[in-house]
Amino acid sequence: MNSPETRPAILLIDDEERILRSLEILFRGRYRLHITTDPQTALTTIAREPVHVVVSDQRMPLMSGADLLREVRRLSPNTMRILLTGYSELDAIVASVNEGEIFRYVNKPWMAAELRSTVEQASGIAMQMFAASQQAVDSRIPEPAAANNSAILVIDDDVTVFSAVKEIVGYAQTVYYAQSLEQAFMLLEREPIGVIISELMVARESLTTALKMLKSQHPEVVTIVMTPFRDTAVLVGLINQGQVYRILPKPLRAGPLGMNIASALRQHRLLSASPVLRQRHAVEQISAPEEVSVANRMMSFLGRLRGRTNVWPPLPEIRQS
Amino acid sequence: MLVISSAPAANAASGLMALLREVVPIAPDTSVEEAAEKMLEPQHAGLLCLPVVLGKRVVGVVSRQHFNSIFLQRFGRDLWGRRPVSDLMNRQPLLVDIEQPLEAAAQFVSTRMGSPISEDFVLMRDGQYLGMGRVLDILAAMQSRIALGASKLEDAYRQLKVSQSALVQNEKMASLGQMVAGVAHEINTPLGYVRNNVEMLQDMFGQLREVLTQYCLLGSMMADENFDEAAVSQLLQQATAASLDLQQGGLLEDARTLFEDSLFGVDTIKELAINLRDFSRVDSAKLADVNVNDCLDQTLSITNNVFKGRVEIIKRYEDVPLVNASPSQFNQVLLNILTNAVQAIEHDKGKLLLKTEFDEQWVHVSIVDNGKGITQENLKKIFDPFFTTKPVGQGTGLGLSISYQIMRAHGGNIQVASVPGRGTRFRISLPRAASHRASSLEAAA
Repeated sequence: MNSPETRPAILLIDDEERILRSLEILFRGRYRLHITTDPQTALTTIAREPVHVVVSDQRMPLMSGADLLREVRRLSPNTMRILLTGYSELDAIVASVNEGEIFRYVNKPWMAAELRSTVEQASGIAMQMFAASQQAVDSRIPEPAAANNSAILVIDDDVTVFSAVKEIVGYAQTVYYAQSLEQAFMLLEREPIGVIISELMVARESLTTALKMLKSQHPEVVTIVMTPFRDTAVLVGLINQGQVYRILPKPLRAGPLGMNIASALRQHRLLSASPVLRQRHAVEQISAPEEVSVANRMMSFLGRLRGRTNVWPPLPEIRQS
Repeated sequence: MLVISSAPAANAASGLMALLREVVPIAPDTSVEEAAEKMLEPQHAGLLCLPVVLGKRVVGVVSRQHFNSIFLQRFGRDLWGRRPVSDLMNRQPLLVDIEQPLEAAAQFVSTRMGSPISEDFVLMRDGQYLGMGRVLDILAAMQSRIALGASKLEDAYRQLKVSQSALVQNEKMASLGQMVAGVAHEINTPLGYVRNNVEMLQDMFGQLREVLTQYCLLGSMMADENFDEAAVSQLLQQATAASLDLQQGGLLEDARTLFEDSLFGVDTIKELAINLRDFSRVDSAKLADVNVNDCLDQTLSITNNVFKGRVEIIKRYEDVPLVNASPSQFNQVLLNILTNAVQAIEHDKGKLLLKTEFDEQWVHVSIVDNGKGITQENLKKIFDPFFTTKPVGQGTGLGLSISYQIMRAHGGNIQVASVPGRGTRFRISLPRAASHRASSLEAAA
């Protein structure tokens, strides 16, 4: 097996030492482990040496997990961030997405095997990220020239959202508008869409599964969800299975939305240019039975669509679990 | 006077308008005799006086009492009969503008009318004579309006009570929501490591079983009289290697830790369940003899996640006598004050002093924090319903108001003192349970 020096490094932080002890035994032997109850120690470690994955508790006395992961992202953007939490608070979820750009949101109690494979996946991606960025530094590859032709797709019943987005981006970007799933998928197949700004419900249909599917099919497409919807379980699903880029509240506010669209477009350009980075947005497989059937329906729709245009390779089957 | 409502002008006008009586006024030069005749006319039967008007200007009123005083005098009629009423009349009659609200008019009339009531009032519009209004009528109108107002008040009061209980329910749900969030976190944390530990122990058990199977096999092979030496030594090697693996991997040592932690976690959850039950005491919402020290500890244990690490808790409990209280309600009060106290601490050197003490009649609980304190101005309002300094949506402003009511209902009270920047002290006092009070008095005597 790999020697201790080349093992990926992971940092575990929780204010309950028994959690740390349990996780330590779970991960021991495969990783170099940093274990602490103190957020400052964690940040110092991350600033000092490469840490591939951080697994953090949310509710800690000195600093919340969402705040900690935001700092981790600032100090070491290549480090993959996982939140391990005992209770889903809306604020924590939104902050961990918008500021922490986390890879997974895991609830306590967790399944040992699942957490193991999540961390393994994250560390694999992070190893590549660290290597790639090292290479970039070594050979001074310039950032990809901004390919500025990617378009924005707005999916919302409310047409004023579309006009607001159009107003914000001006003539810089083409903005498309869809009021149904079918329209949205049609546009996605035909147009070079880079960023989606979507509600979670259109025409009384939930878009959650569609957004997850989309991310699994087009990891370079960046999704902003804008919704008054506040169901924590759905939002957690959108993180883990949809790698949603931002969760914004409604009614929309032009200033923040503008900034987020700009950073989403930037993110999309980076993703398009870098296959390694796209992995970072790898999603968990959809598993809820009701979602699987929706996903299968959508896949067959996509299949027909693509059969006609014949641009895309055949799609993998979604496994019924 | 109680002003029931400041009715809009239109209503008020119609109010006085209903009282208007059209009375043909008499001129100031009308003789007293003639005026007295007029007074006796049947259409004026209910009136106490007649208006004296010049052109459109009211110059006075002349009342039955005036006439009485004259005609009861000896030679009154002869002396006064031919003189003009202007010599006799009251030149400062009660003048009421028809546009005035009924209440204002009634107040004006009732404060100015003489005793016994001898005159009615003159109704005016734009300073000109309009007609007469009877004092009796305006008093009756006011009475019926007050009665109406009272029934409206009663309605409003009833509605208020309904919405108040709805609000209290909301507050309960809001604090329940907070509590559920806290408890879920408190349960999921031990559950997290217990589950993980059990899964890992399961794996270890698998490995142990394998080693055991090998040794058992070894045993039975060796028990055989003509065992195959080569096979046995091979198996022995395997088994030894496997058990060495187990020992070197630290698995057995780990297992001990994992079991200990898991038991600890399960006990934590058990404790929590007991405290939750004690905390709410749904099964006994009625009064019981309770120890406030226990109540404090129960409340602390379920709010542990809010305090943990952030705030140093100093307990100074005296061995207090029991109090007679509804445990769930009293715990609600403690929860409220404790949560407020912790929320008031915005620095990382938070301290919370919990002190219990007692005297002849009372048991006192003091909860002292070194948080940001409450300004004098806010201190006056903290028990007011809906008063909150928390951001919109984070506090209903009912917590302390309900706590106050609960304590009053228990025959106790809450006192608060605060120094902004230094901290706040809440002191809750409850009367000692009757039996214990008596026994201690006996003891004292």
